[in-house]
Amino acid sequence: MTILPASHDDSNRSSAAEAEISAAIVRCAGGDRVAPRLIYDREAARMVGVAMRILRRKDLAEEATHEAFVRIWHGAQSFDPTRGAARAWLFAIVRNRALTILRNEQRYDTEAINENTELDPASAISKLPESSALRRCLQQLDAGRRKAIVLAYVHGFSHGELAGRLGMPLGTVKSWLRRGLRSLQECMG
Amino acid sequence: MTPDRDDDALAAEYVMGLLDAEARARVERRIATDAGFARAVETWQSRFAEFDQTAEDVAPAVDLWPRIESSLAKETPPVTPTMQAPAVGLLGRLWRSLAALRIATMGSALAAVLLAIVAVMALQHAQQVAARKPIYVAILIDDATRQAGAVVNAFADGRVEMIPLVDMNVPDGRALQVWTLWNREIGPRSVGLLSRATAIQLDLEKLPGTTADQLFEITLEPAGGSPTGRPTGPILYKGTTARTL
Repeated sequence: MTILPASHDDSNRSSAAEAEISAAIVRCAGGDRVAPRLIYDREAARMVGVAMRILRRKDLAEEATHEAFVRIWHGAQSFDPTRGAARAWLFAIVRNRALTILRNEQRYDTEAINENTELDPASAISKLPESSALRRCLQQLDAGRRKAIVLAYVHGFSHGELAGRLGMPLGTVKSWLRRGLRSLQECMG
Repeated sequence: MTPDRDDDALAAEYVMGLLDAEARARVERRIATDAGFARAVETWQSRFAEFDQTAEDVAPAVDLWPRIESSLAKETPPVTPTMQAPAVGLLGRLWRSLAALRIATMGSALAAVLLAIVAVMALQHAQQVAARKPIYVAILIDDATRQAGAVVNAFADGRVEMIPLVDMNVPDGRALQVWTLWNREIGPRSVGLLSRATAIQLDLEKLPGTTADQLFEITLEPAGGSPTGRPTGPILYKGTTARTL
């Protein structure tokens, strides 16, 4: 009985945040120069955190966040508040900027990464809410695929990097993951 | 496997970040033009969105907001929802550069007249381009701001030209270098070097004929060009060729 009210509170808090962000994005689309600051105050630390997991360097994570705000400002008109998912929209932009920096070999100096940071794919899954469909459906996959999906989404691993890490040929990794993604899709609907 | 299933898998791979830089760029062009595919991407984004909330909060440096604020101050309010069509992009860019001259503060009637002039200029430019009929065109975009910076036109007789659309800031002792990549194994080749943004004929004579999806990019290099023969500086603008109708 203690779990239910708590998760109810959580979902209330989360839907309030969602509505606030959604309204701020709509205000950006209208050219309201105060609106980006509202988004920043609410989400910047999480945005840097998401970019950090991919880039593992704080300066680059901040750069990705900086670029994301320019994108948000220009892209706000393409956001449709009636379809909801304001934060999904926001974080898709941050991840996009972080991945672009990561894949831009010319600028990304891999030696500057702190290699001591051990990646722990299980921890991202354990932090998902108990009620999460994503969590439930990932747990139905075999451990290898589950880990590969987290390494890709959370830490920005490419097909090539996964192949290297798993010691599998690139083509095999691709088809092996595609089967995993299809199961995930069927499970999540 | 039906093509739809392949598309769905591609959308998932894009959202997860599995694709390399080139494949990502291809998918992003497709999102801009294919609403069905864009929806598949959105669906995958919402499936994975809960992962974003598992990240630790990392307090940004105190100067991050001032930096963002000063970038946004240079940007005009978002007047165009997208820059997908080259005509819209050009119009949007011209409008934005005029807006930078504080046209927006003038009376609305004058602004309307100026907007009409801009529209005519954009149309004239489009007509000139159409009259000369390049077979491939690449719009080179600034990845961060999505602003178009230059157009590359490739003609049937093998001539390839680059026309800048914005004045690029070139510090002393630096130069703009233009590159093309048509084969990943061979790598990018230098096809032009400029001290400032100006229209030039690119040197592609020793290279195979220009094709669709060929990458062009402009990087900032030391004056005299990259010492290594490969791009070493930041990419200012990049884009890939598309066949004209």
